[in-house]
Amino acid sequence: MTLQRTKSQKVLRFLGNNTVPILFLVICAFGIPLSGYSTNYLVSEVVVRIARNSFLIVSLLIPILAGMGLNFGMTLGAMAGQIGLIFISDWGIVGIPGMLLAMIISTPISIALGLWCGKILNMAKGREMVTSYIIGFFMNGIYQLVVLYGMGSIIPIRSSALVLPRGYGIRNTVNLIGIRKSLDNVLTIKLFGVPIPLVTFAVIALLCIFVLWFKKTKLGQDMRSVGQDMEVARAAGIKVEHTRIVSIVISTVFAGYGMILYLQNIGTLNTYNSHMQIGMFSVAALLVGGATVSKANIRNVFLGVILFHLMFIVSPMAGKNLIGQAQLGEYFRVFVSYGVITISLVLYEVRKKRDRGDAGQLLAAEQGEAE
Amino acid sequence: MKMKFDRQFWVRCAAIVVVLLFGMLMFFIGKQHTILLDNKTITVNGQEIRALQLVEVQVNKLESLELAARDRDKVDVTRQSHKITITYTDSNWNEISFTRKFKVPLMEEMVIISIPTLVSDPEADQSLWLEKYELPAYAIQASPEEEVVITDDLAGLISL
Repeated sequence: MTLQRTKSQKVLRFLGNNTVPILFLVICAFGIPLSGYSTNYLVSEVVVRIARNSFLIVSLLIPILAGMGLNFGMTLGAMAGQIGLIFISDWGIVGIPGMLLAMIISTPISIALGLWCGKILNMAKGREMVTSYIIGFFMNGIYQLVVLYGMGSIIPIRSSALVLPRGYGIRNTVNLIGIRKSLDNVLTIKLFGVPIPLVTFAVIALLCIFVLWFKKTKLGQDMRSVGQDMEVARAAGIKVEHTRIVSIVISTVFAGYGMILYLQNIGTLNTYNSHMQIGMFSVAALLVGGATVSKANIRNVFLGVILFHLMFIVSPMAGKNLIGQAQLGEYFRVFVSYGVITISLVLYEVRKKRDRGDAGQLLAAEQGEAE
Repeated sequence: MKMKFDRQFWVRCAAIVVVLLFGMLMFFIGKQHTILLDNKTITVNGQEIRALQLVEVQVNKLESLELAARDRDKVDVTRQSHKITITYTDSNWNEISFTRKFKVPLMEEMVIISIPTLVSDPEADQSLWLEKYELPAYAIQASPEEEVVITDDLAGLISL
């Protein structure tokens, strides 16, 4: 039995369920004409950003499946990826072998960090998001300690281009010229003048297929059960804690790989900031795509990347044309990133309450019918 | 927790070994070396070997480089084994071309090949014409100013 709703109620419900994507569509609809960018430019920029960011955002899907919300702890994986990149830059390993080696180096670090993060999150059930967010900050401190003081002194780093003039610690920026666009440039075709990096898209497609396949496996089904109700899953014989840890480990490892893909496209590593920014922007992009804390799919990833990054591209120029200052657009996009996460979390709670209300109404209606 | 040496354990060990070997392979095939091609007069074992007036040098299938006397150029390569093809005209105006294989030591970032030495005896051991090159101190010395490390992305707001 379902509740009968009027047309206006249905429209309101649709708007309520898709508030964030609609909000972004409106922002983009105003921003695009104001920016004055050509369609071709916008499309090519969006294609670049899909190739650059999608892998990272897909890495967020598995913890959501396991009911652990948005994994702000993906920054741990990003740090592992960056450590891999620092090592290959020091050793002078270039091209795709360099990327693969960075991935191999990042994997054990990501697994260890994911295990540790998963264990902590198991102690903070129901507060996973804020806990993972704080774990990210904590681990950032450890990362800075290792990179700023350990590398060059305890951990051997030979390249003077990487080490600070004082003899230890890594510089603010690391030039990744050796692996810059090495994956993107393997096979690129031009479609209506827009360059499409086919191999990068193939890698992203493989990850999407993996996620879809994974959801159908025993472990994937276990994660879904744990996500829906931990106690029921436990009663069914599922190792709840283990399953949750595995989901975080998978997400962290993929985040490490995603960071390597992201940085090979950019070509420069911002040693002390890249990983923190990427966690925030990936979560925001997924939410813009219409995902919630408890439900996300691949459609949300791509819609989110397109809308969120379209706003990123147009806002500086729109700000400049509107007010005369590109800086305004920069502030606007940072403000929007934080704002969208806040709106999404508030809306999620509102929706949860509304659904509970609907369930109550449905129950009351069923009881009325029975009497 | 007691470790079980069952089939799963050995499969996992084998997987780790395969990944490590793959990583080593990536290291070997992805390591970049800079090869300096030097066409300058050089003295080897007390004997002066004069620079060639004009020589065409090709490393692997990279673009050919033309070097006049006292010229130096560079190529970036990956992997250890390479081929160098040298084409020049001798004093009798005969065009001579030969190819020589060589191996760059794995951990060397930069090596220098003396073209005149190689041309004088193409069959000689590579240690005679290929040697490690270290950048002069002034080239690698970092700027005297200490770099300010920014570890906080909100640090920029302090200046506002």
